[in-house]
Amino acid sequence: MQRRIRKAAVIGSGIMGGGIAALLASAGIEVMLLDIVPFDLKDEEKNDPKARNRIVQAGLDAAIKSKPPLFMDKKKDPEMISIGNLEDDLNKLAECDWIVEVVVENLKIKQELFKRIDGVRRKGSIVSSNTSGIPLKEMSKGLSLEMRQHFLGTHFFNPVRYMHLLEIIRGDKTLPEVLEFMANFGEKMLGKGIVWAKDTPNFVGNRIGVQGMGKAMQAMLEHGLTIPEVDALFGPPMGRPKTAIFATSDLVGLDTMAHVSKNCFDLCPNDEMRDTMKIPDFVNQMIEKKLLGNKTKAGFYKKELTPEWKSIRKVINPKTGQYEEYGKPDFPCLEAAKKAQTLPEKLKAIVYGDDRGAKFAWDVVSNGLIYSANRIPEISDTIVDIDNAMKWGYNFEMGPFETWDAIGVKKSVKRMEKEGLTVPKNVKKMLATGATSFYKLKGGKKLYFDFATNKYKEMAANEKAIVLADLKANKKVVKTTASCSLIDIGDGVFDLEFHSKMNAINKEMVDFMMEAGEYVLDNGVGMVIGNQASGMPAPFSAGGDLAYMLGLARAGKFAEIDGFIKNVHKGIMGTKYAPYPVVAAPYGLTLGGGCEVCMAADRIVAHADLFMGLVEIGAGLVPGGCGMMHLWRNYVDSKPEAAKLTDMAGFFIQAFMCVAQAKVSSSAADARKNGFLKPTDRIVFNRDILIGEAKKEVLKMVDDGYVPPRKKKIPVFGREAHGMLWAEMNNMKIGGYITPHMEKIAKRAAVCMSGGDVPQGTLVSEEYLMNLERETFVDLWRTEETQKMAEHIMNTGKPLFL
Amino acid sequence: MREAYIVTSVRTPGCRRNKGAFAKTRPEDLLKTVVDAIFERTPNIEKKDVEDIMIGCAFPEAEQGLNIGRVIAQMCKFPDTTCGATVNRFCSSGLEAIALQIMRIKAGWCEVAIGGGVESMTIVPMGGNLPRPHPEWAKENPDVYISMGITAENVANRYKITREMQDEFGYHSQMKASNAMAKKLYKEIVPTPAKRYVEKNGTWIEETVLQDFDDGIRPTTTLEGLKKLAPAFAANGSVTAGNSSQTTDGAAATLVMSEDAVKKFGLKPIAKMVGYTVAGVRADEMGVGPAYAIPKLLKLTGKKLEDIGIFEINEAFASQAIYCLQQLGLYEKRELWASDSDKRIINVNGGAIALGHPLGCTGAKLCAQLMTEMRERGVKYGVESMCIGGGMGAAALFELVE
Repeated sequence: MQRRIRKAAVIGSGIMGGGIAALLASAGIEVMLLDIVPFDLKDEEKNDPKARNRIVQAGLDAAIKSKPPLFMDKKKDPEMISIGNLEDDLNKLAECDWIVEVVVENLKIKQELFKRIDGVRRKGSIVSSNTSGIPLKEMSKGLSLEMRQHFLGTHFFNPVRYMHLLEIIRGDKTLPEVLEFMANFGEKMLGKGIVWAKDTPNFVGNRIGVQGMGKAMQAMLEHGLTIPEVDALFGPPMGRPKTAIFATSDLVGLDTMAHVSKNCFDLCPNDEMRDTMKIPDFVNQMIEKKLLGNKTKAGFYKKELTPEWKSIRKVINPKTGQYEEYGKPDFPCLEAAKKAQTLPEKLKAIVYGDDRGAKFAWDVVSNGLIYSANRIPEISDTIVDIDNAMKWGYNFEMGPFETWDAIGVKKSVKRMEKEGLTVPKNVKKMLATGATSFYKLKGGKKLYFDFATNKYKEMAANEKAIVLADLKANKKVVKTTASCSLIDIGDGVFDLEFHSKMNAINKEMVDFMMEAGEYVLDNGVGMVIGNQASGMPAPFSAGGDLAYMLGLARAGKFAEIDGFIKNVHKGIMGTKYAPYPVVAAPYGLTLGGGCEVCMAADRIVAHADLFMGLVEIGAGLVPGGCGMMHLWRNYVDSKPEAAKLTDMAGFFIQAFMCVAQAKVSSSAADARKNGFLKPTDRIVFNRDILIGEAKKEVLKMVDDGYVPPRKKKIPVFGREAHGMLWAEMNNMKIGGYITPHMEKIAKRAAVCMSGGDVPQGTLVSEEYLMNLERETFVDLWRTEETQKMAEHIMNTGKPLFL
Repeated sequence: MREAYIVTSVRTPGCRRNKGAFAKTRPEDLLKTVVDAIFERTPNIEKKDVEDIMIGCAFPEAEQGLNIGRVIAQMCKFPDTTCGATVNRFCSSGLEAIALQIMRIKAGWCEVAIGGGVESMTIVPMGGNLPRPHPEWAKENPDVYISMGITAENVANRYKITREMQDEFGYHSQMKASNAMAKKLYKEIVPTPAKRYVEKNGTWIEETVLQDFDDGIRPTTTLEGLKKLAPAFAANGSVTAGNSSQTTDGAAATLVMSEDAVKKFGLKPIAKMVGYTVAGVRADEMGVGPAYAIPKLLKLTGKKLEDIGIFEINEAFASQAIYCLQQLGLYEKRELWASDSDKRIINVNGGAIALGHPLGCTGAKLCAQLMTEMRERGVKYGVESMCIGGGMGAAALFELVE
């Protein structure tokens, strides 16, 4: 039987239920969202469907309003969702191919619900629970065999759209094909990274994660550190999110965290580190006082306004329970980590340092490594699943075993033994075989150490997933510089990878693009422009190298800026008209120059979470890499040539506002709505397969017989745009909505996008538009205001409006 | 010169742009309702007796284009001999159309004619579908194309009309209108078919309801509520949605006749138009128009301000309306305009802040309102006036026929 999920039911409309419904809807799947009928209905409301659906409606509304947005298209995606309640609409579950339960974490309620579902569901439909900790075997007690064969755990992480992890838990009777189907569905349709978890309390991510947080909190008190000190150590310097330990708890909610910890403590009586799951007293007192984190506007951190309306961040003092102000944490090991280039070096600098902070970090990290190794095979069969769970569910750059490799297994084990820590048996056994790392590359294949067989095993490779780091380690780099590389990704396709800071586009890259082009011309069939940076959101490319151009401007070297832009144009148009197909694979932050590189490609294969825009105006500039021209072209090309464009303004205003307001898309769907993506560009839900899909697209274009686009002239709105814009800018100026220099930039952008001083409908050449853009770009750099704006955004990350 | 008389003057309700009852009703249909209503409300006269129809419209294009005056003559089944024209002076267009017909009759060139106005601001947006300011002129003098809201801010800033004053004025407009609606004082309103389109069982059905009230009136308005509104046109401005006119759909029409015709058909006219004038002002503060047009009108007609028993001064924005009243020496006399005063003579049943300002229709609509008010109250002289985008004011003096 060919399984398909045409319609899904999500039961429970809280944060997780709403998030799952939103993700499914964004992926184009029809959803029925159900919740309970309110208990407090008045008599006259008892037959009113609106009143009966009040809870689920509120849940859906909250999902639509959530920030960051859960829906990829806030207007259209919610239309995929119908709402209902568990009394009137239960029978409709028979229409659904997948029913996912996301109700309150209460075994009895869940058991009762599953019994009711068993009575109405269609045979063969899949039923899953999103529980974060309740054992499946308890929930499935007393259910029909047929349902149990189709019953599993699908554990998403919050916020559902943005967290990559999906834990799949096998029930005792689940059919293998059901598990396989759901893993494939989660991976391909929903873009998730699958971790196979066992039916143990809190599964993988939260078991390791919560133990780590508990240990860190306890150790903080033992070592006498402060909350800001802990967060400074356990944040970006260790490859973890900025929110580190305590700000993450604020984000999740202290009560939720405590609940998950308690669940683990109660259900794992034999856990050797059970005591680390105990939440410290001061935290319990905070929960009693309803200091639950961001949702109550006060947790470990609290924002306060001074009488001068200045926002200050106060932190709770565990000893006094009072909020206090703390200075910036300062440890020698943090200083050393700051200087280190790579994450392994940073990690080593911290855990092997000898200051207070370093000793604390070692205590927590070593404990976490030991705990993770001891969990195999209890919670998962492989180290890979545990590493993935922490990377995808907690946004760590490295999982525990990768971290262990980074700090050196032998060295750290020695220290553990010296300090009297119990080194896990499986790790000792591994070292005894002569193996010194959990992962290694051999013959171009990535291997991991399998504890069960005490041997290295090949990683189960996702055929579609191309991992650039692995290819690089396998010497597939054919050309490289400090900021970018050309990598052979097989079948004659080469990947142009950016790897500068924030993947900002600099002079070196522009020169390299041309060299890389020549290489592909001689040796390949096509090119992918793609990279795999991490972060939240990760940068495909955050824009152009402002520092370089600002330096030139400050030195009065405007001819050099002009020359640089000429080269940028050459590079960008070179990829556009190359005799081989070029496919860009953007994801995450794709701003300014990054956006412009993509728009010049033959096709874009974008990750669904795409934050794309031409934001140069915030730095006092206009886009300088043909961005305005290509955005406008996307607009006019989106209609069949035979249809006459009578209202050019209807197209122009939208395209112009993207630039003038520095609009950044909230998703790939939104980028398409705003014309950054063409109708023929593709959206892929799973970032892991993005480069693979882009490569597929290149090969398909080659197979179809590729010829580069023909040069053609572009119709422009011309001087009519100026009349409109000058009139409207007058209103904005008097209304106090625009500052003088911003007005100047906006007007100059309008002139560039409208093709200068020509009548409406004039067909102009690309070279003409490029010259307009380049002259404008250089002219703006000549102004003191633009130099100030660029400097300000470089230093603060925020625009200065002059 | 011979006399010309206003015999019948009617209007549709004013309904909110996009959200109101007429959002799905074509402007021609609104106009057809009022033109036909003239013949229901006027005895002894037939369509063939009307020589010409002039219709004011501020954006005479698309659905309200192609000379809607002639189109409507045909749609209303006037004979081919009835002519039609479109008149545009933005916000005074409807009054201009009536005045033009009055002049034609006074000159002896015509006996029976209709003047009116129409604007569906839902269907043809303010500024038109294809606004195209002249590129060089927009660079040299963009104020010609200035947004009306900005002119209201300019008036407020230059002449120190505070937010509090504007909100108070807006509040009274709503209260006066609420009172008039509750007491059914708008006798000039013609119940008008309003269309809506609903999807039923996979097909679309056109439904028609009769709309007989102005749907922008908000009896629940409070001063506190008005205070909370954000400025609509300027970052730190004082002009809000609550102290500005509403954008509205509507139509109005007035039947005018020579003295001979009145006698021939045995009709009792309501009033005669004594004079009509326009005055030019700076474009970037166009709202001051009435402050210049009304004194010019009084001088032209040899009347004093004290002679005027009732005023309809269009409330494009509270800021400009207040300024104009100040200049006329009427604002300080709160009893002349406040909703809680029974001595009020200015916008007695509310103004455009509550009732809406369907640009090209407004001049004809205010005429219809003024005719009802003058007749009901037995007021001898009434003045209608408004400001006009681009920098003008218009004013007309009416005299009740005893």
